[in-house]
Amino acid sequence: MLQLQFFGLIRILLKREAMELAWAEGDTVQRVLDRAQDQVGTAFVHKLLDDLGTPRSGTIILVNRRNIAHLKGLQTPLADGDTLAFFPPGAGG
Amino acid sequence: MSKGYQGRVLRVDLSAGTCKTEAINAEWAKSYLGGRGLASKYLVEEVSPEVDAMSPENKLIMATGPLTGTYGAANGRYMVVTKSPLTGTIASSNSGGYFPSELKYAGFDMIIFEGKATKPVYLQIRDGEAELVGALHLWGKTTNDTEDAIRNEFHGDAKVACIGPAGENGVFFANIINDKHRAAGRSGVGMVMGSKNLKAVAVRGTGGVRVADPKAYRDAALESYGLLKENPVTGEGLGALGTAVLVNVINQSGALPTRNAQSGTFDGAEKISGETLAATYLKRNKSCMGCIIGCGRVTKLSDAKYSGDGEGPEYESLWALGAACGISDLAAITKANYICNEYGMDTITAGSTVGCAMELFQKGLISEKEAGMSLEFGNGEALVKLMEMTGKGEGFGKKIGLGSYRLAESYGRPELSMSSKKLEFPAYDPRGVQGMGLEYATSNRGACHVRGYLISPEILGIPEKLDPHVTEGKATWLKIFQDFTAVVDSAGVCLFTTFGIGVPQFAKFCNAANGTSMNDEDLLAAGDRIYNLERMFNLKAGIDPSQDTLPKRILEEPLPDGPVKGDVCRLSEMLPDYYKERGWSAKGIPTEAKLQSLGLA
Repeated sequence: MLQLQFFGLIRILLKREAMELAWAEGDTVQRVLDRAQDQVGTAFVHKLLDDLGTPRSGTIILVNRRNIAHLKGLQTPLADGDTLAFFPPGAGG
Repeated sequence: MSKGYQGRVLRVDLSAGTCKTEAINAEWAKSYLGGRGLASKYLVEEVSPEVDAMSPENKLIMATGPLTGTYGAANGRYMVVTKSPLTGTIASSNSGGYFPSELKYAGFDMIIFEGKATKPVYLQIRDGEAELVGALHLWGKTTNDTEDAIRNEFHGDAKVACIGPAGENGVFFANIINDKHRAAGRSGVGMVMGSKNLKAVAVRGTGGVRVADPKAYRDAALESYGLLKENPVTGEGLGALGTAVLVNVINQSGALPTRNAQSGTFDGAEKISGETLAATYLKRNKSCMGCIIGCGRVTKLSDAKYSGDGEGPEYESLWALGAACGISDLAAITKANYICNEYGMDTITAGSTVGCAMELFQKGLISEKEAGMSLEFGNGEALVKLMEMTGKGEGFGKKIGLGSYRLAESYGRPELSMSSKKLEFPAYDPRGVQGMGLEYATSNRGACHVRGYLISPEILGIPEKLDPHVTEGKATWLKIFQDFTAVVDSAGVCLFTTFGIGVPQFAKFCNAANGTSMNDEDLLAAGDRIYNLERMFNLKAGIDPSQDTLPKRILEEPLPDGPVKGDVCRLSEMLPDYYKERGWSAKGIPTEAKLQSLGLA
């Protein structure tokens, strides 16, 4: 299983903090995002990705607490048991 | 005098009880813009860096920028510049709200307070006229009550900046609160104000701000509005969840300093997160003057133990009063935040100092008998009680009022203060975000995040994503961020706009307002000049480059947990590069050639 955690505006939008998704051979962050959106039935990927399908400025996606920007981006491969955290753009100071 | 400015400085001699108006120094304004830069120039020219910060010879300057009170981004900031009693460095603390713009509308760019009043006074300003009046009846009042009383007796629409009891009682991290909930927070500027027996500044202004080229200004404003509105951070994220959204982000990144930075992750993070705040005590968001971002949090407590309403907590306060103390009781944190605002105290230093006291307690150096309560990590009740005692200057609160460095030093363990140059660092552990370590070590007011916010590229990926665990290249990034921030602070604009707009937009604003023709390089050179001016003040004040460092824990103790387990901050890999980028000697001293190139020699 994959553990998905939702933060910020996505959590408010989906009214849920987390979900589990069955892992499949060849899974990447991109594939899991698409599958998760289908399963929850509410569009939320647009909060993370722009019209071209690339992460928006300020979007943070972590796999096992590592930012995918320093892995293989949306094509980062996933293993069974991985935890993914999705943060739409937000900031502080 | 250029448009954008009002061209007038109000000089208030508290010893003599006089108020005089003088023309702003136009030459200096060209070189140092306004706000932080121009006020620093006045301080450097008029106050010896070696002065005792609490003596009448120190001056307190409240300065707007040429863009304060205009429209287009979030153009409503002012800076309080003085010598800091907490750090001994130059202090410049920044605040928004409505007071800064009102000061401009009353016809002044800046107020310089000098001397010391023989008894408590406050300053009334009404459209170009100013007068000192007695404040004995306000002394001892909270910031909320002070503002209400002044509005009642002076003008119902007055905007007020004041100190609370903490500023009167010599709390080293007393701040100046305006519009009840906005703070010129760090470095103890409220302690200086209190030492001068100055309780408040109340201003009513009905004028406006003229710009040199109204059409160009309008174009610049429309462009910036559009960029800020379209940007997902400034157009949506900050308004909906405020800065508090960072609790989970930074915790997941393993860089949330927990229990006085003994670890980088907090198991109670979810309970004190922005998401939880939004689902519990948050009533609505709120904007400062002319701001479309609206990051302010209007909250009301509905908890069995604590009551009250106000604004906050922000991310920094959630961390300082929460994770730094191991506290996951959001109601206690929110209550402690209200108390800090009402008594006029910086939440970052307040929380970090309580966290330090809790570690001293944990190590057996502070006893339950001495503190008058148990100070184990996680004790929210103790936090709330201590904040009130600190503001009032009672019991063990007097020790908390020293700030963490002086507190830890008094127990022979100064290394347990999580500070640089005696200013407590904010909510990012440099072991998990290397560039922020360099920022803490080199910031001119001590460990500060809002002088060069490298969290933006290192964690948030704005304007591009840098690896937070890499040291290479961070010096170059930091210099640009520090110089640009000096420009933003000097122009009178909120730093949060820089998530959506950059140097080109600021150049357009400044040129249209002031009738200048600065390019991007000119603007950044002004930032560099301001940064070096502050550095020279600090060096002359005896803050030598050996203090460009971090606590031993951050440099030598590996993070024990989280995704960056095992890391320390590798400051020594970055500092030489930084000095080089700045054009300073290998020992961190600005060279003659560098100073000459900036017109500082």
